Amino acid sequence: MAARGHVQDPNDRRLRPIYDYLDNGNNKMAIQQADKLLKKHKDLHCAKVLKAIGLQRTGKQDEAFTLAQEVATLEPTDDNSLQALTILYREMHRPELVAKLYEAAVKKVPLSEEYHSHLFMAYARVGEYKKMQQAGMALYKIVPKNPYYFWSVMSLVMQAISAQDEKLAQTMFLPLAERMVEKMVKEEKIEAEAEVQLYFMILERLGKCVEALDVIRGPLGEKLTSELQSRENKCMMLYQRLQRWPECNALAHKLLLKNPDDWQFYPSYFDSLFHLIDQSWSPPEEGEHCPEGAVHHTVAEVVRFVEERIKGEDGKESRSLRGPYLARLELIHRLRERGCPEESMLGDPLELMVQFFGKFGDKPCCITDLKIYLHLLSPDQHVQFVNRLSEAVPLGERGEEGFAFPDDTKALQRHLCVCQLSRALGLHHALDVDGKLRLIVELKAHYRHGLKFGKNALKTELQFSDMYCLMAAHVYIDLWKETGDENMVWQGLGVLQEGLSHSASNAQFKLLLLLLYCHLGAFEPVVDLYSSLDAKHVQHDTIGFLLTRYAESLGQFAAASQSCNFSLRFFHSNQKDTSEYIIQAYKYGAFEKIPEFIALRNRLNQSLHFAQVRTERMLLDLFLEADIVLSLEESVKAMSLSAEEDDIPWDNMRDNRDLTVFTSWDPKDRELTAEHRRQSLEEESVWLRIRSLTLRLLASLAGSGHAPSQQNSEIANENGVGDKSSILSGLLSQLNQTLQTANQIAEKRIQYPFLGPPSTRLAPALSSGSCQCQAAALQLSVHLQELETVGLDESTELQTQICNAFKSLVVQLQEILNKCKGDLLDMKEGKLKTWPSLLENLIFFVETVCIVLWMASHCAKILRPLKTSLQKKKKKKKKDANTAQPVVVCGFQELTGSLQDLLTQALEYIKGQETGITALKLASLSLDEYPQDEASFMKAAMDKVQSSYLRSLQEAGDLLKKRAETIKNLKI
Amino acid sequence: MTTLRPFTCDDLFKFNNITCRQHEAVLYGIPFYLQYLAHWPEYFIVAEAPGGELMGYIMGKAEGSVAREEWHGHVTALSVAPEFRRLGLAAKLMEMLEEISERKGGFFVDLFVRVSNQVAVNMYKRLGYSVYRTVIEYYSASNGEPDEDAYDMRKALSRDTEKKSIIPLPHPVRPEDIE
Repeated sequence: MAARGHVQDPNDRRLRPIYDYLDNGNNKMAIQQADKLLKKHKDLHCAKVLKAIGLQRTGKQDEAFTLAQEVATLEPTDDNSLQALTILYREMHRPELVAKLYEAAVKKVPLSEEYHSHLFMAYARVGEYKKMQQAGMALYKIVPKNPYYFWSVMSLVMQAISAQDEKLAQTMFLPLAERMVEKMVKEEKIEAEAEVQLYFMILERLGKCVEALDVIRGPLGEKLTSELQSRENKCMMLYQRLQRWPECNALAHKLLLKNPDDWQFYPSYFDSLFHLIDQSWSPPEEGEHCPEGAVHHTVAEVVRFVEERIKGEDGKESRSLRGPYLARLELIHRLRERGCPEESMLGDPLELMVQFFGKFGDKPCCITDLKIYLHLLSPDQHVQFVNRLSEAVPLGERGEEGFAFPDDTKALQRHLCVCQLSRALGLHHALDVDGKLRLIVELKAHYRHGLKFGKNALKTELQFSDMYCLMAAHVYIDLWKETGDENMVWQGLGVLQEGLSHSASNAQFKLLLLLLYCHLGAFEPVVDLYSSLDAKHVQHDTIGFLLTRYAESLGQFAAASQSCNFSLRFFHSNQKDTSEYIIQAYKYGAFEKIPEFIALRNRLNQSLHFAQVRTERMLLDLFLEADIVLSLEESVKAMSLSAEEDDIPWDNMRDNRDLTVFTSWDPKDRELTAEHRRQSLEEESVWLRIRSLTLRLLASLAGSGHAPSQQNSEIANENGVGDKSSILSGLLSQLNQTLQTANQIAEKRIQYPFLGPPSTRLAPALSSGSCQCQAAALQLSVHLQELETVGLDESTELQTQICNAFKSLVVQLQEILNKCKGDLLDMKEGKLKTWPSLLENLIFFVETVCIVLWMASHCAKILRPLKTSLQKKKKKKKKDANTAQPVVVCGFQELTGSLQDLLTQALEYIKGQETGITALKLASLSLDEYPQDEASFMKAAMDKVQSSYLRSLQEAGDLLKKRAETIKNLKI
Repeated sequence: MTTLRPFTCDDLFKFNNITCRQHEAVLYGIPFYLQYLAHWPEYFIVAEAPGGELMGYIMGKAEGSVAREEWHGHVTALSVAPEFRRLGLAAKLMEMLEEISERKGGFFVDLFVRVSNQVAVNMYKRLGYSVYRTVIEYYSASNGEPDEDAYDMRKALSRDTEKKSIIPLPHPVRPEDIE
């Protein structure tokens, strides 16, 4: 754990057993051993700290902290104590205390390089850039080593980056950093590559491109050797910023001569040409064109250059590179964009693409390469193009079914590529239903035939023909969406399940299966599929949305909690991880990585998905537990949830979802657009806002439950309750506004591509009425607050108002419940059909009834003392008190009665559905029309859906049963 | 046609097509990547297709004692997405790592590979690597598979003029014996 000093100190020997116990996770023994040692050696501070570590690790945070502070106030200067305290503070997530510790240590031992360097790192951990700058200089004064000096310079750059005021960065921090480096340059003290790199960073941020160019091209630039082509890349970037097109052009083609496959320089090369043309640039009459050499300033020269590169590849014995061939297509694309007639000099795009296919059609990336240039073909060329390609695919003899198959994997890849291109050209979509069905038959035949090439494949390898199978599933989905015939999706699931049985690690199969099951309302199979994807780390952020969108809404609460937890664990570890590596980047002089690491940390902290799982996790905990295990108040307190606090970075939300994770060969007009992305993010944000406001309103409900007793209510009115009611009304008006926005979004009925982002729960939440009902329930708390102040005596009007609200809640809940009535799964004419929207509505009912019950319980808490005091008053006045109850009390009793009825109804419905679904005899489905193995894969998929529906019903039922039990606590 | 450029943190978010579509590729934790980026950023290179898709990446480091002539480049991870295979990309990335190691004055480049991964072993042989030694049970068991041995494969760089670094060891070693 801790490095033990080099000099053999008797204390080291005494402490060793404690270290060992801690290392082995035996915290109890460590504590005991420390106590023993402390009896003999009272002043062995380190033993105290080690004991504190043991206490911290056994959950005794407070004791640990007190003990640690005992040692810290002594301002220790021995290595052992300092290191142990550093470890302890880190585990306590109090890195700022480490800085304090070393601040004290360097005061006592001002010349210690080690302590000063620890101090610098401690500041780095908490991002105290100004103090880092000073600590770096202090270090340099003690030990004049270059890295220390440049730590200080980098800390100035960080002050510039983090400055709110860009002017301050540009006029103070960066110029100061620049001067500090210049001083070292003048004194010829620059030693390391990292120092030049940092100099470059500063100049670049200052926009001093000319100066930066001088550095890179000068003697200092010679130090930039680690990264390949570092100087060239930096020059290119600077030429572009400086708009020095001749240099840009000359350097680009020089680099392309060296590596004609390096794509990044083709765009620079072409761009610079067009800029030169626009500026009517012409070369000087004598001498070099520019410092980088010859410039190609006419289209003819550039065309010739590209053609020469292609000739070079054609004549090669070894593998041809794709770059030059694609560069030709890129150039045509760009010339066409500019309306240049010279486009024709390069040839006919159709012929060129056919030629490309001839050369590279057997590579799996051929589709990716050609897809971006398909727009160069006119629509009437599409069929001709595909026919031309098909001619170039060597297939064997036609078999019985009328299909000809490839003889080897190269031919298979070519054939597959033609299918992919046909789809990308929209030819699949243009087919009618029968045409699509025939296409599927062909794709499946090719898929199954191609399996023979992968008979000996390892379990972890993909099959050569997997993509046919995936495409067949895509066409099934097209048919499903087009005709609404659910049999299509069952067949799609069947073919994917079949594919997975031959290619167990195909992630695309799993992802699409997962999506289809979710669309059918079945989350249970998704759990295993997702876990077999083995998503790790950042993938929880990029693809975690697939789980969190559906788990809860389909009533699989346990799985929903778990998937939130996976994501949360990742996000929470990120903070600690990144600061560790920021420190390492200082140590190794990877200065350019430091702002990058910080940007990564921010990107994760501001992630939309992070905010969603944080919010949903807490809501789930409340739905599942509050008032069942603990009271709402206790649950809210345990979560340290507060109504006042909004920790969601609304203005800087980062959408880190990977919305292209699904492989798709859809034509451009069906692809995900930037507008889709924008709309999806907007929709997600609005839905998140509704959920987060609901959560905060629940917190405020629980907060006002701690109502002060009657005696000091006046004081509370002055400071406490007044504040709370303004927070409450603020939140409620925000919720209402958000619901308005939500309605506008829902009205747009935005449809995303099937493989794009899923729609949120927003639209169904509004159409089920659950949003409105939840808002109405939360709104009631305002009136209840009022009632609490005025009492029962003189509030008839208010009471009537409240009673009407109660009645309205019951009506609304009944309406939601009515919207889930109907069979979730039914079998008609031998066909199975799912009704996932009914299930979704049932879950909306469950969530909403939870919220109404919390409101009711809050209400009971307010009414009870009011009723008691009213009875006391009445007793005093008359002995034979009027037995009539106050209006609101009657209304409340009515409410609880109705809630009881509603829950009974819902439970009966669930029970009925459970019986019905269990009784469904899937075996009696007429799957005879399908070949036997296909039928069995379809059947397996149906079984999974059936089982999943049962599980969702069970979880919803269990939750409602527990809720029903809490109704009896509502008596007043 | 490939853009080869330094790996950046933002690439982590585009990683799905390299890792998710390919089971055998190990996806390390973020700390692991950050460690390499902080220490050996020049050894972490990503290949990008014109459409912006990540095609593959290589991640490595320089380590070992110069005095004992063990200073060398090490390939920690090399991964190419399935749709970008058979383009010679892995060879190109290896060539770059070797070039960087040459510049750093390394004596050789080495890497570990599962003995069962015949495809990879053959590829490295084609690129001039040879088996220097076998490391017993280097890969610990997972998913019910047993522990597996690794080949430590090496290729000498120009500094090792006599190619001393790649003379195969006669006996296999245990993981704890390697540095």
